[in-house]
Amino acid sequence: MPLRKAKQKQERFTPFLFLSPAILFFCCFILFPLIGAFGYSLITWDFFTQPKFVGLDNYGKLFKDPIALEAVKNTFIFTIASIVTHVGLGLILAVAVNRRIPKFFAYIIRTVFFFPFLLSWSATSIIWSFGLDPTFGVIDFYAGKVGFPQATLISSTWALPTLIMIDLWKTLGFAFIVILAGIQAIPSEISEAARVDGASGLRLFWNITFPLCTPAIFFVSVTAFIGAFQIFEPMYIMTRGGPDNATLSIVQYLHMSAFRNFDIGYGAVISVAIFIVVLIVTLTQFKFAKRWVHEG
Amino acid sequence: MTDKNVTETLPEKSVFSRRTVLKSAGIGAAGITTAAALAACSKKDDGPKDLDAATVSFVFNGSADQAKSWDALFAGFKEKYPQIDFTAQAIPSASWAEYADTVAVQLAGGAKYDVLNLATEGALLFADKGVVLALDDLIARDQEEMDIALADTHPRLVEFGKKYGPQDGKTYYIPSGGMNCMAAWVNKDVFAKAGLELPTDDWTWDDFLAAGRTIKKKTGAFMFPVTAEYFVGIMPWLTTNGASTMNEDWTVATCDTPQAIEAAEFARQLVVEKLSPAPGGTFDRFELGIKGDLAVFGGGRWPVLAVRAANAVDKYEIFDFPHKGANRGSPVGWAAFPIMKSSPNVDAAWEFVKYLSTSSGATVFATSGGTASPCLKSVAESQDYLADSPVGTEKLYKALDYATAIPSPTKGNLTQRTIEDIWGQIIAGNIKPDAGMKKMQEEVTKLL
Repeated sequence: MPLRKAKQKQERFTPFLFLSPAILFFCCFILFPLIGAFGYSLITWDFFTQPKFVGLDNYGKLFKDPIALEAVKNTFIFTIASIVTHVGLGLILAVAVNRRIPKFFAYIIRTVFFFPFLLSWSATSIIWSFGLDPTFGVIDFYAGKVGFPQATLISSTWALPTLIMIDLWKTLGFAFIVILAGIQAIPSEISEAARVDGASGLRLFWNITFPLCTPAIFFVSVTAFIGAFQIFEPMYIMTRGGPDNATLSIVQYLHMSAFRNFDIGYGAVISVAIFIVVLIVTLTQFKFAKRWVHEG
Repeated sequence: MTDKNVTETLPEKSVFSRRTVLKSAGIGAAGITTAAALAACSKKDDGPKDLDAATVSFVFNGSADQAKSWDALFAGFKEKYPQIDFTAQAIPSASWAEYADTVAVQLAGGAKYDVLNLATEGALLFADKGVVLALDDLIARDQEEMDIALADTHPRLVEFGKKYGPQDGKTYYIPSGGMNCMAAWVNKDVFAKAGLELPTDDWTWDDFLAAGRTIKKKTGAFMFPVTAEYFVGIMPWLTTNGASTMNEDWTVATCDTPQAIEAAEFARQLVVEKLSPAPGGTFDRFELGIKGDLAVFGGGRWPVLAVRAANAVDKYEIFDFPHKGANRGSPVGWAAFPIMKSSPNVDAAWEFVKYLSTSSGATVFATSGGTASPCLKSVAESQDYLADSPVGTEKLYKALDYATAIPSPTKGNLTQRTIEDIWGQIIAGNIKPDAGMKKMQEEVTKLL
């Protein structure tokens, strides 16, 4: 009897043992920092002097801060543009590559689009900074030749669209590959049955391909949102958030507040705000997913 | 892209206490400078102090292309104090303000350093946070040695150190560890190719503009890179028109004076006439200059490393920065080497600070090229500094006679970002110079 009890106890404990590495990492890198950030948001502290408890004062400051609002606006523009372009172009590319084109070309296209995703944001930013140099940059030069604006990184009008375009170049490959995998997972019998029933290409897309790859599209839209909303490196490296805060992202503003202005409490408030926004939007995405994402 | 990190400005900072300064100034006034300089030179031959084995860790703003020069400096110290286990950590940074921020964050994260390398743009910040040690007792212990160094230090640096350092009557920084003023590095070949005589130190903005137009027309080369770097790209134009970003006390913004606006208009004009590469680029001005595609670049001592590496020392001659009317000007920033309050190795750290602040270290740094000009007159006039350097190198020290301390209040990192961002918009043509400088005035005022 005691042996059986011990065994039952061990069985109850075993799953936690398997989960423990993930739980440990989650606690160390997500949960505890989150609790810490909330704690820091209630104090003023400059790293060196004694912290002072200020309650929710830092939160009040956030809503009155015009630079924070500008950073939020920039971040939402960047994020929405990122989701729309990634999902839209990723889907178009995936459908195009999934058609019966020679394998060799399909391989080349996949590689060409996915390769930039393997680069770090730092390397990407430096490469594009050289390419967009208004005097010596090759990309800037040819952009001018075909009528696109030049010196865009120093233009308060064009700097943010330029960063959106660079983000698309870098991360489109990921969306493309995920959606392509979703399309290729669709059983071929379904498409063939539809063709036998006389479905045209467009009808096949709307009634078969698109609905059945919505889980992949949903995954791409969620990851694109989370990634884009936390964008930092290209702004920091290429534009420093300028000109005139035109490319300042909310995470960059967090960095500025905490590690340039040494206002840790305010930086923590921004991080908590980012967490809440990402949480709300992601939960909303999941809630509405039931209406359009095919489960099956 | 690279020149600024080498040094925009070596920092400023607080210097000897008022008592020490006045005492030493009295010695200097008595005409002891020459004797002091000789004495200082002899000091480098002094044997090591009676120190037990200890460790000293040092953090500095240095990039890979400067490594050789810094290593030579450190080797000199290690040779003098073999019993000290010396380690140095380089942090390559785009600006001194950014470097100071990085060090501050590292310290907050638990990094332990005994001695810091700061510049004007960060010195007040660290003193304000109370993390650096007051050096008065250590100075008093080696009063004679320090008096000699101080008497050999350019008097304006002593004055700046006193004026712009923490005002609590204590001494945190020695003002003789290195400095930079701005001057015009002129490529003689480009001028010759355009059929122009070399300029003189009296050249004006009009002369500069005329030369630039001729060079552009006859050679296609750019005249000068107009940039939004505080020390390298903004302050030279302001100071050569009698302007600055702040008043003398760094308490009031002065960005919208007619002179400051005029300086911004002139910088923008250079861009409009394509005498400068378009702002916001990533080009290397030294490389461009040495290739003959750029007639002039601004710099202090630091370009000598790139010029030497390219065997182009003879191609260059250094002149005062062109000025508007009679307003000769330059910013100046100077190095500070504070000891951390938390250092358990104060005695060994102090020996290193002394080494950097007296002729011993200054001579080694001057010989190896260094990233800063010496503050000590004896070294600045020596062949250690002037050899293998462009003609006119001595002007980098003489510019101290008229230079303006780079305004760097406690929130200097934030004012610098604001100034650079708005100046960048002005020279890029996003905003008109007068409107831009007024906006800069408003934004800087909020931060002071």
